[in-house]
Parts: sequence; structure tokens; C-alpha cells
Amino acid sequence: MKPAPFEYHRPTTVAEAAEVLADREDAELLAGNQSLGIVMANRLATPDHLVDLNAVEDLDYVAERADGDAVAVGAMTTHRTIERSDLLAERVPMLPEAAEQIAGPSVRNRGTLGGSVGEADPAGNYPAALLALDATLELVSADGEREVPVSDYFVAYMFTDLGEDEIIAAARIPTDPFPPARTGMAFLELKPAAQTWPTVSAATAVRVDDPDADAPVVEEALLALANAADVPLRVEDAEAAVEDEPLSAAALDAAAAAATEAADPEGEMHADREFKEEVAGEYARRSLALSYDRATNGETDVNVPTDE
Amino acid sequence: MMEFEGEFESDLPRDELWNYFTDPDVLADCAPGTDSIELESPHEVTATISVGVGSVKPTFDVEMVVTRADRPELLEMQADGSASRNAFDAVAEMDLREGDDGGTVAQWTARTDVSGMIASLGQRALGSVTDKLVTDFFEDLEATAREGDPAESKLEAKPDAEASLED
Repeated sequence: MKPAPFEYHRPTTVAEAAEVLADREDAELLAGNQSLGIVMANRLATPDHLVDLNAVEDLDYVAERADGDAVAVGAMTTHRTIERSDLLAERVPMLPEAAEQIAGPSVRNRGTLGGSVGEADPAGNYPAALLALDATLELVSADGEREVPVSDYFVAYMFTDLGEDEIIAAARIPTDPFPPARTGMAFLELKPAAQTWPTVSAATAVRVDDPDADAPVVEEALLALANAADVPLRVEDAEAAVEDEPLSAAALDAAAAAATEAADPEGEMHADREFKEEVAGEYARRSLALSYDRATNGETDVNVPTDE
Repeated sequence: MMEFEGEFESDLPRDELWNYFTDPDVLADCAPGTDSIELESPHEVTATISVGVGSVKPTFDVEMVVTRADRPELLEMQADGSASRNAFDAVAEMDLREGDDGGTVAQWTARTDVSGMIASLGQRALGSVTDKLVTDFFEDLEATAREGDPAESKLEAKPDAEASLED
């Protein structure tokens, strides 16, 4: 099928895009076009106006913020750019790890962080990763700028706090909580095939007191799950289970149980509800163990489970 | 068939809230996605409402009939909506109980048959979005009442009406 008629707009600046959006009813933003075009071609979405953001180069960047306590990723940055960013690899390695596992190469070449966050599919990689990282979204509209913590942004299934006339400009990740020398991060997915959406994913960050100690203590742990509920799911009980002590098998068991308990997934064709709850626990465990292992340069006795 | 339910508390008295729940102009302002609303008779309203999930936002032509209206405690409505490739049929009931300190506890339930694209989203996705929309509606309506904007009760029950989901 072909989409219903629409008027096409291609602004070149964020301000211009915000104006176009403010002046028109029933407009949709187009980022990497890995979802919207399909939905429109099937006439499930029939916006009167399409605002293509691909010429807004100001939104394509990965940069350290001037005050040095945050890294920002522009909304139109592709998965591929995120996957290959040296700055992110050093400061926020969870994001490249999340990006490189998205779908296939052609999707990664076109799809963007802002598109994923805007679509707000609870199975998406960035929503869970940004939630685990305590990120803040920077939004722009004709009325000005607004900031929303990712923890407040996802409201319901594919439903967000983003206003009708707002554009996601960037995601800002605080770097103070994640000193590279003492931090490990991981993004693990279970999926039946590379090109599909994951069954469940786990995003974790772990900071230890002293990576060279005999038994480094977990100062802080962060965990979010994807596709385990209607929205990306932060599991603070699992975080608390591993904090303030060296990582142990018992603590991982408690964290896994907390993640299974917190999960409220929808059954799917190849993964019923009970299975997904179990996977949520298991991937919470693996992801926390791997993050700890990375934080301590692999010099711990914790047995990191792997798929191999 | 899908069933949804929820509860909303307000410190405003139910007799006052009743006027807002039965004033079509207030409903038009507060109901999410309402483009227009017409009072066809004291017990019938037609509206166009755009609601959806993600970029899928069907515009429904909705016909709503008030099947029970017992001031100030019970309001029941039957609604059917049609849009391109989507349709729904719903019975919604709201019980207003007196809460503490003269406030109100509104308990709502909705039974609905859905067909088309939105049906494929499943009960949990729709329930999630329905909760959000209903909460927004109650909050907006309460804010309108709190600001003291005037409201006039214009809806009453259709005589001998009985709400049911069509087979």
C-alpha cells in the first residue's frame, strides 16, 4: 500500500522544526524512519503533515557538556554513530553496547536515538539504557525548552510525557556517578534472532569502591529491564540487593528474585509471561555480574555466566 | 471483551463534581483527544475523538448515550465509535461515593469490545493507555472545578435505556 496523502516538511534547524510543528495540527516527526513509514504505508497512521528531521544536523552529535559532568547524545544520532563513539565507549559504554545489538546493519545506519525514545516501545534498547543511566531528556518546542528525567518520561505503553508540539533534542547522561576506573556497565538481550525485538533485555551499571581490593564493595548499582512491563522498568529492589557489599552469589540470587518479582510482562508468541519473568531475573543476574566483573577488571571470583 | 477499572479521589464534594461530569462543554475540554462534541439531546452526545497509541491515532466518530444518571452517585454511558479500520463499543459506569471530609471517591469501570488495529495491541497495552487517559481526564476536570469555572448539568438518562455490549 501507499500512505495517505500528507504534506512533507524538511526543516534544517531545531527552531524551524519547532515552528513547523507548532503551526500545524496532526503532524508527525520523522527521524530515522525505521517504524513510522511502515505504519503510514499500511494507513494505520495518517498524519496530515510529516516533519522530517534528517536535515537538522544540529541534532546529530555526541559531546561532553561544557561543565564536564555530563555526556549528551543528540536525538538524530544514529545507532551506528553511538556504536562507534570513542567518547561513549570510554564514559558510558552501556550505550554503544545497546546500540550495536539493535536489529541489523541497515537499521543501525538509519535509526536514531531520538526515534527510539520518541516511539517509546518498552522493548526498545535506549529507553531501558537511559533509564538505568538516570538520564535526562532535553525537549524543545516553539515555547522554549523543557527537561524531563527519563524516569518521568515513559508513562504507559508507547505513551510518553512528550507534548504534541515538542521535539526530543538530546539525552543527557550524568557522568559523575560513573567514573570509568571504578564502573562497569552491561546491556544484555535475549532474542530469538538478531533482527528481531528482544524477549527481555537488562541494562546495568555498577560502581565499586576500589577495583583493586580483594573484595571490591558495590557502592551503587543501577538496573533497568526492557520488554518486562508496559514501560521500561527500573528495579530498585534488585539494586539494593547487591549494594554495600562485595558481590556474592547470594546477593545475585536476591537481585534475580527481585527482578522476577517486579516484572509484569505481556506474553508473546514465543515467550509466555512466566518465561519472561524468569528471563528478567536471569538477565538481571547476568548483567549485574558482568558489570561488576568489568568494574573490577575481571579480577574477582564472581562467576560470570555467559551464553557460550 | 476487555474490562478496565480504576479509582480517582477528589476533595471536592460529589454534588459539585456532578455538574462537571454532565456538562458537555466541560467534557469536550477535559476528555483527551476530543476535537468536537455536540449535545444531540439531553441523553445523547456525538463527538469526534482522536486517541491512539504511538503514531497510530485513529479519529473516532463517537455516539454516546447516557443510560443511567442518578445524581450525584451514578453515571452510566454506552458509547460506540467508528474510525477508519478501527471500531469500539463500550459501556462505562462511574460510581461517586462520599469520601472523607466531604470529598469524593470516583470508581469507574469500562467494558469494551474493540476491533481493528487497536485490538491487536492487546488488553495490557490498551489498559495502560486507558489508565493514563482517564487519569488525565479526571485531573483536568477536577482542576476546572477547582478554578470555579461554571458548569451546567445537561445530561440525563435516556428513558428505559439499558446498556449492553452489542453481540
